[in-house]
Amino acid sequence: MCDVAKVQKIAHCLGVAPGKVQLNEEQVVTRTSAKQEAVAGFATILESLANESKSETAQNSKATREVEAQVYQWIEFSVLYVAPGSKDRNVAKQLLADLNKLFATKSYIVGHFITLADLAVYYAIYDLVKSLSPVDKEAYLNLSRWFDHLQNRDDVHQGEPLLNFTTIYLHGWATGTHI
Amino acid sequence: MIIYTNEGNPLGLQLLMLAKFAKRSVQVQLVNLNDAKFKDLLILPTLELDDGLRLFSPAAVAKYLLADEGQLRDEWLEWATTLLAPALAHHMAVGHRADPNALPVLNALVKKLDDCLKASPYLAGDKLTAADIAVWSLLAPDGTLKGAQNLDSLHGWYNRVKALPEVQQVLAEQPLKDLSFNALQQSNRYGGLHHVPLKRLSLADSGKLLAETASTVADTVTDEELAAAGAAFTYTAHKDVPQQRTVLPKAGERNVLITSALPYVNNVPHLGNIIGCVLSADIFARYSRCAGYNTLLICGTDEYGTATENKALAENLTPREICDKYFELHNSIYRWFGIGFDYFGRTTTQEQTDIVQEAFKDVHKAGYIITESVEQLLCQKCDRFLADRFVEGTCPHPGCGYGDARGDQCDKCGKLVTATELIRPRCKVCNTAPILRSSDQLFIDLPKAEPRLREWVDKSENGWTHNAKVITRAWLREGLKPRCITRDLKWGIPVPHSGFEKKVFYVWFDAPFGYVSMTKRYTKEYQQWWQPAKGTEVELFQFMAKDNVPFHSVVWPSVLLAINKGHTLVSHIMATEYLNYEDGKFSKSRGIGVFGNDAQETGIPADVWRFYLASARPEGQDSSFSWNDLGARNNSELLNNLGNFVNRALVFCEKNFNSTVPEVVATEEEFILLALVNRELRGYINSLEKAKLRDGIRHLLAISRHGNGYMQTQQPWVLLKGSDEQKQRAATIIALCANIACLLANLLFPYMPATARTLFAQLNAKQTPLNAEKPLATVLLPAGHKIGKPAPLFAKLEQSFIDELKEKYGGTQASKAAADVQSQSSAADLEQAVQAQAEKVRELKASTKDKAVWQPEVSKLLDLKKQLEEAKKSAVSAPASVAAPSNGAQSVQALEKAVQAQGEKVRNLKGSTKDKSVWQPEVNVLLDLKKQLEAAQKAAKAAPAAAAPPVASVDAGKVKALEDKLNQQAEKVRTLKAAGDVAVWKPELDILLGLKNELAALTGAPPAGGQAKSKGKKKK
Repeated sequence: MCDVAKVQKIAHCLGVAPGKVQLNEEQVVTRTSAKQEAVAGFATILESLANESKSETAQNSKATREVEAQVYQWIEFSVLYVAPGSKDRNVAKQLLADLNKLFATKSYIVGHFITLADLAVYYAIYDLVKSLSPVDKEAYLNLSRWFDHLQNRDDVHQGEPLLNFTTIYLHGWATGTHI
Repeated sequence: MIIYTNEGNPLGLQLLMLAKFAKRSVQVQLVNLNDAKFKDLLILPTLELDDGLRLFSPAAVAKYLLADEGQLRDEWLEWATTLLAPALAHHMAVGHRADPNALPVLNALVKKLDDCLKASPYLAGDKLTAADIAVWSLLAPDGTLKGAQNLDSLHGWYNRVKALPEVQQVLAEQPLKDLSFNALQQSNRYGGLHHVPLKRLSLADSGKLLAETASTVADTVTDEELAAAGAAFTYTAHKDVPQQRTVLPKAGERNVLITSALPYVNNVPHLGNIIGCVLSADIFARYSRCAGYNTLLICGTDEYGTATENKALAENLTPREICDKYFELHNSIYRWFGIGFDYFGRTTTQEQTDIVQEAFKDVHKAGYIITESVEQLLCQKCDRFLADRFVEGTCPHPGCGYGDARGDQCDKCGKLVTATELIRPRCKVCNTAPILRSSDQLFIDLPKAEPRLREWVDKSENGWTHNAKVITRAWLREGLKPRCITRDLKWGIPVPHSGFEKKVFYVWFDAPFGYVSMTKRYTKEYQQWWQPAKGTEVELFQFMAKDNVPFHSVVWPSVLLAINKGHTLVSHIMATEYLNYEDGKFSKSRGIGVFGNDAQETGIPADVWRFYLASARPEGQDSSFSWNDLGARNNSELLNNLGNFVNRALVFCEKNFNSTVPEVVATEEEFILLALVNRELRGYINSLEKAKLRDGIRHLLAISRHGNGYMQTQQPWVLLKGSDEQKQRAATIIALCANIACLLANLLFPYMPATARTLFAQLNAKQTPLNAEKPLATVLLPAGHKIGKPAPLFAKLEQSFIDELKEKYGGTQASKAAADVQSQSSAADLEQAVQAQAEKVRELKASTKDKAVWQPEVSKLLDLKKQLEEAKKSAVSAPASVAAPSNGAQSVQALEKAVQAQGEKVRNLKGSTKDKSVWQPEVNVLLDLKKQLEAAQKAAKAAPAAAAPPVASVDAGKVKALEDKLNQQAEKVRTLKAAGDVAVWKPELDILLGLKNELAALTGAPPAGGQAKSKGKKKK
């Protein structure tokens, strides 16, 4: 998913009009809001979207200074590591392992509630997760649980078909999910 | 606050500056992400706030520590992290990661900075903000702006920021020269920022602003380094130090005693053993001698024990004769590899007996010996007590359950095992279950020694490799138990204790003392090494593979501490991880891998083997031996890099300067090269001082790489045709390169002694001692020195040759041996073996996903299958007498084989591809064959007597039961297949095939197959 699409998806999640989203001459994503305010950079745009939004996710992301700093660093992580790393086999493997470890003890990336950090990482890792086989998905069980939980939210899937996380191969005998 | 960062990480600078501007005090802790302690850290640097919150993004830290300074600042912060930092990382990359596109991108980025700073004094307006700190801290390391042109505004801003008192304070704590974007590679587990693609800028070409990449490394050389390199590059004649005949430690000097784990005499050592122990020890010892330390390298064969007794029985020799025979084998292999032991001894000497018996008396007197009645496994069939290694069974450790655990140790979980605790033990020789008998044995009271041992470990373990520390700590955490040190054997050192005269010492109390006794064989003054006088410090380095650690870190030190007579205790345990062979494991017992004598037969010089093994040394983690890698390293590193540089330098000197080294009239270029060489030289010395042999090679090769780069840019061959002044330059270049070649010969000596000697002969120079205190390149070949005749040092290894070797040594030793006696093993025996093995593999695969566990077994299976096929071929050509009596059975058997082969084919196909159109036809063939088989079986049953006369003894009921089961299973598979999903019915199909195989074993094989039969039944 390209940055422009990610910004648009996240704007919809937050219930904010995305405005005009495009790449500038440095190939950096920019947004021009309805009020004609221009912002450049994925993380900075997400902050501006959060400032315009009254949604729960946006409010969560600004709960305290500490939360705000952590949300920012994970958005940056999604830009620097998740999105480009997904395309490199070795990095992708480490990335999946790291995130899987992170979600062993957490339901959301920051705090105990959904924030922009979850959305940014979710859309950045979407294509990678989509490419995983059922066995791989089972190997990254915690990550799968987080992903499946997010994708089941209406504001997140936005009408796209859900990825399959059924991990029992023998579904001829018994159907069910492990997550 | 704490900053966790890795050495040289440039982003750490940014955090330090931010903390300074935010007026917060901060500590820096250098960490290694591979360290288990820091497994929770994701990205370095990470800032830990006082309340424990961790932030790994410098931009997030800036926003958190400093007040909000507006959106423009935030945009710059993001720009710095996501555009500038990756571009700098790409720009600094070398080797296969070098990126020619990085410079234009970086030029565009600095152009943007310059343009912005033309308009306003700081990036986000009139005031200094976190954005300026972020961008400045990225541009400062690596001297990115050094040599840049037309960037006046940027330069002005750069200097203004640099002059700020806060920045000056930070730079005083953190010098810029220690930082480089190359360090980002170790800053996360993703290999740095190389995976971040550079954005293709649609900006017009920004022109040439920054200096070229090639000179960037040189730009990082500081003036101090240049001055030091220049000052050191002088000639001092070295006096020849007379070699002492016998090396003894001396007070006030560095004394290094090196041992390599004693190889067991019966086995031919494989490459994993060689690099793990003797070769590592030899390289280190050679280095240690070069560095001028008093060095003694001791090793030998461990000869006592049951395995030798057995081997003697098998070969109809006495144990002594067996030891003599194999000792020679070891000795010749190590000699071929150029291992320069000061003494290579054996444990079957009078010295060993004296030392062990005396040690026992000392330990006994000190009260560390207990007598206990022990239950031992007695094999009634073989009529003897079974030594640990001769019992196999299921590993008793919870969670392991490995089926082939040995009585002393489990190969899978690596834990020590007590033979009597094995689940379902069996005698390794005859496979019958042994019974328990009790007898009195002597134990060493390790719990009593434990407090002193802990104290010693606490203060000694700093010099050990990481794995040695971890293994020892794990032992201590579990608490020590008394360990039995005697055995009911004949081939060993008699126990000098009344009532125990007929027993001998076990390896734990025997082999380690071999180091001492071999030293005694070397010199009567051995006690100077092992019980040095006050004032003489002996450092003991022990090299081994990690499975040997407990003996050297726990058991033997406990014994020596119990004796309490001031023995030299190990200060450096140098334990390697395992070397794998291609994809599987090297294993003595299973015979997988390249063995010492094979290496010799390949015709590849010993020095190349030494080089390759050292550069693939499993330091820190397991590594693999690979033929392709061997070829590639020989061709790219030795031939194209090192050999090429040395040869070019010497040939130029020979052809153009009449084999006389000209004078070096050094300019800045030469000093830069020397400074770069000195950096690597320091790295080489630091690595080898810590016995990090693999890193040492890296630094050595980097030196010749710098040399090649220097020659390539200076192009002496062009200069030689030019003016006198240019010829003078060429002379300097050649002289410097010849000197570096001589330095390389010295550095190469520990790794490749024969090659180094050849090179010294070509240089007409002698080895010079390495100065570990002051590792700086000096003039080794003064002007006027006559060199010898240059010749290529290395030969190319062609891929076809490598492929040939790969093919030749692809199988296991066991199968090589099996091929020799193939005529003796009938196809039926082999078939049983295949079936048993297949069963084992299936079970293993079902029980674990760990490929390392089942891969060797699978290889074994494939091997057996190959043998079977060949045997079958030869059987076809054999007289028909065998086939005649049982026609019906034969056809059933043939069909069964066909089914099996086809089933295997289908399995393989399915495993390799998901494309149904590929495997479907084969599945159809399989189904067809099965139908035929069924029909044939029915027919065969109708004439049971004729079908299988030799099987008359087989329990008919068993066959019946199996057939019923088979039918049920077949029914199940059919229903499942009807339902569809491959994943669903495939496991069931496997079970079905397994059953069919069992049936085949029962009905089709001669009565000798009793073993496989009972085994098959037990498994159900």
